[in-house]
Amino acid sequence: MDNQYNKRKTKQFLVFAIGFSLLILSFFFSLSVGASSIDLGTIIHSLFLGEETQQSRIIQSLRLPRAIVGAIVGANLGIAGAIMQAITKNPLASPQIFGVNAGASLMVVIAVVLMPSFSPTNLIFFAFLGAALGGSIVYYMASTGGGMTPIKLALAGITVHMFLTAMIEGLIIFHEHSTEDILFWLAGAIDGRTWDHVQVILPWALIGIVGAMVFAKQLTILSLGDDMARGLGQKIALFRIVASVFVIILAGSSVAIAGPIGFIGLIIPHIVRKLVGVDYRVVIPASALLGAVLLVLSDVISRFISFPAESPVGIVTALIGGPFFLYLARKGGQ
Amino acid sequence: MQNKKGLYILITLGLVVLVLSVIGTGIGAVYIPPYEIISNLLGNDIGSNQLIIQNYRLPRIVIALLVGAGLSVSGAVLQGIIRNPLASPDVIGITKGAGLSAAIVIILFPKAPIFVLPVAAFLGAACIAILLYLLAYKNGVKPSTLSLVGIALGAICHAGIQYLMVKFPLEVNAALVWLTGSLWGKSWDDVWLLLPWILILLPVTIIMAVKLDILNLGDDVAEGLGERVEVMRMVLLFIAVGLAGSSVAIVGSLGFVGLIAPHIARRLVGNKHHLLLPVSALLGMVLVLIADMLARGLMPPVEIPAGIFTAVIGAPYFLYLLRKMQSTP
Repeated sequence: MDNQYNKRKTKQFLVFAIGFSLLILSFFFSLSVGASSIDLGTIIHSLFLGEETQQSRIIQSLRLPRAIVGAIVGANLGIAGAIMQAITKNPLASPQIFGVNAGASLMVVIAVVLMPSFSPTNLIFFAFLGAALGGSIVYYMASTGGGMTPIKLALAGITVHMFLTAMIEGLIIFHEHSTEDILFWLAGAIDGRTWDHVQVILPWALIGIVGAMVFAKQLTILSLGDDMARGLGQKIALFRIVASVFVIILAGSSVAIAGPIGFIGLIIPHIVRKLVGVDYRVVIPASALLGAVLLVLSDVISRFISFPAESPVGIVTALIGGPFFLYLARKGGQ
Repeated sequence: MQNKKGLYILITLGLVVLVLSVIGTGIGAVYIPPYEIISNLLGNDIGSNQLIIQNYRLPRIVIALLVGAGLSVSGAVLQGIIRNPLASPDVIGITKGAGLSAAIVIILFPKAPIFVLPVAAFLGAACIAILLYLLAYKNGVKPSTLSLVGIALGAICHAGIQYLMVKFPLEVNAALVWLTGSLWGKSWDDVWLLLPWILILLPVTIIMAVKLDILNLGDDVAEGLGERVEVMRMVLLFIAVGLAGSSVAIVGSLGFVGLIAPHIARRLVGNKHHLLLPVSALLGMVLVLIADMLARGLMPPVEIPAGIFTAVIGAPYFLYLLRKMQSTP
C-alpha cells in the first residue's frame, strides 16, 4: 500500500519535472526560432543582462510576450477542459466542443465589427458573455431527454457551432475591410501579442487557476459520479455553476486574446489523467503545465508552415488534435 | 386515417411550394408581379421581364427546389441510419469535406473552369464519406461512432479551410460566400448538373423507405427480420452522401436544411419513412425557397448568402424542437 502510494508520487513528480523541462525547452525554441534566428547565448544575455541590441529587442518586445501569452492561453485551455470533463463526466467535453469558443468568438467579432475602437480589456467581457451563452445553450440541448451522452454532447455542440459560425461568416462578408485580420484571429493565433495582452489576460488566468485549485477536491468527487458526490454531502448543482464560471473565465479570456484555439482543452486532460490519475489536485496543475507546453510548441511549429510568413497556431493544434479526436471517436467517446 | 392525413399534408405542402415558387420568381432587384410570371410560364410574351424570368429567376427557383429536396432527404436518411435526431449532412462532416475541396479550387485555382467546382466539391464529400466509413468501421459500424468520427473529420477539414483562407486572403470573399451557401448566379447549366442526381436518388430513397423503418427498430430486430443491417446501412449512407454532396456542390454548404426539414416532417406525419421522406423533401424546398427569397429580396440589389437565413430560421426552431422532445433516443 505504502509502496504503491510512493510509486504514484514518484510518477507524478516525474511528470511535473519532465513537463517543466519541456516548458523551458519550448520557451527556448519559441524565443530562438523565427524570421531571425537567435542563439542561446544571445537569449540569455538579453533576458538576464539586459543588453540593448536589435536581437534583444526582438526577444523582449516580440517573442517573450508571445511565448508567455501562449503559455497562459495553453494553461487556461488545459484547465478549462479538465474542469469541463470533470463536471460533465463526459470525455468529449472541452471549450471547443461545448460551443464555448464559438460563442465567445461570435461576441468578439460582433464587438470588433460594431465597435472597432474597443480595447482588449473590454473585449474580454464580450468573450465571457459569449462563452456563457454558447456553453449554456449546448449544455441545455445536450442534457434534454435524460443524461448527457458523449454523442449527444458532440451533436449538440457541433450544431450550435454551425449556427454561430454562420453568424460570424455573415458578419465578415458584410464587413470587408478587416476580413483578413478577423479570419486570422478566428483560426486561433498568438503572433503579434504584446505585453499589453499579457497584462489583460494574466489576472483572469490567475483567478481561474487559483479557483480551479481551490475546488480541486470537489472536482475529483464530482468526476466520480453524482451519486457518490451526493453521498459525500456535495451541493452538486451549486458547485457545477461555480465551476462553470471558472470555465467561462478561463476559456473566454483565452478566446478574447488568442482566438478560438481548438483541441488543447480536449486532449490535454486525457493525456494528464493517463499520466497522473484522477486526483484533480494533481490533474489541474498538470493540465496547466502540459497545456502550456503544447501551445508554445504548436506556436513554434506554426512558424514553419509557410516560413517566414506567420500561420495561425490553431491550425497546428487542429492537426495534432484532430487525429486524437478521431481516436476518441473510434472508441465511441468512452 | 393516418394515410389520409398524410395525403392532405402532402397536397397542402405541394401547393405551398407552388405558390412560393411563383412569388419567389418575382422577387429580386426587379420586382415582377405574379400574374406576369404565370402568363409567361403559360407561353405568353411579356416583353423585357421575360429575359429575367427565363435566364435568372427560374433556374434559381429550380435549384432551390432540387437542393431543398436533396439536403432534407439526405438528412432524413442519415437520422434514420444514425438513429439520432441531431444527425444531418452538415454535422457528420460531409458538407465540410465538400467545403474543403471547394475552397481548394476557389482559392488555389481561381481560373479553373466553372464546372470544376461542383465536381471537386462532390468528390470532397465522397472522400469524406469513404474515410468516415473506413474509420468508423470496427466489426460493423456503430451509429454513435459514425457521427463522432464524422464530427472529428469535419473539424479537421475546417482547419484546412481556415488555413487556406488565411494563406490566400485575396480569394477569401468568394470562398466565404460559397461556404455560407448561396444561390446567387445559378444558371440552367447548374440545373442540368444537379437534376440527374436528384431524379435518380430521390425515387431510390423512397423505394428504400421500408428498409429505413426496419433499421429504426434497432439492429437486433432488423437482423431478426432477415435484413443485412451493415450492407443496408452502407448503401443508405452513400445515397445520403450522393444527395447532400451533389446539392452542396452546386450551392455551397447551406446549413440546417438537412437538420430541420426532417424534424418538422416527423412532427407532421410521424416516423414512417414512406411519408416522412416526401414530406421532408417538400419542407426542404419551402425552407430553401424562403431563404433564397429573403437573400434576394431583403436589401436589393445586394445579395445576402442564403445560408445565413437557413441558419437564422433553422437554429432557433431547432432549439424549440429540442425543448419539445423530452425523450430523445
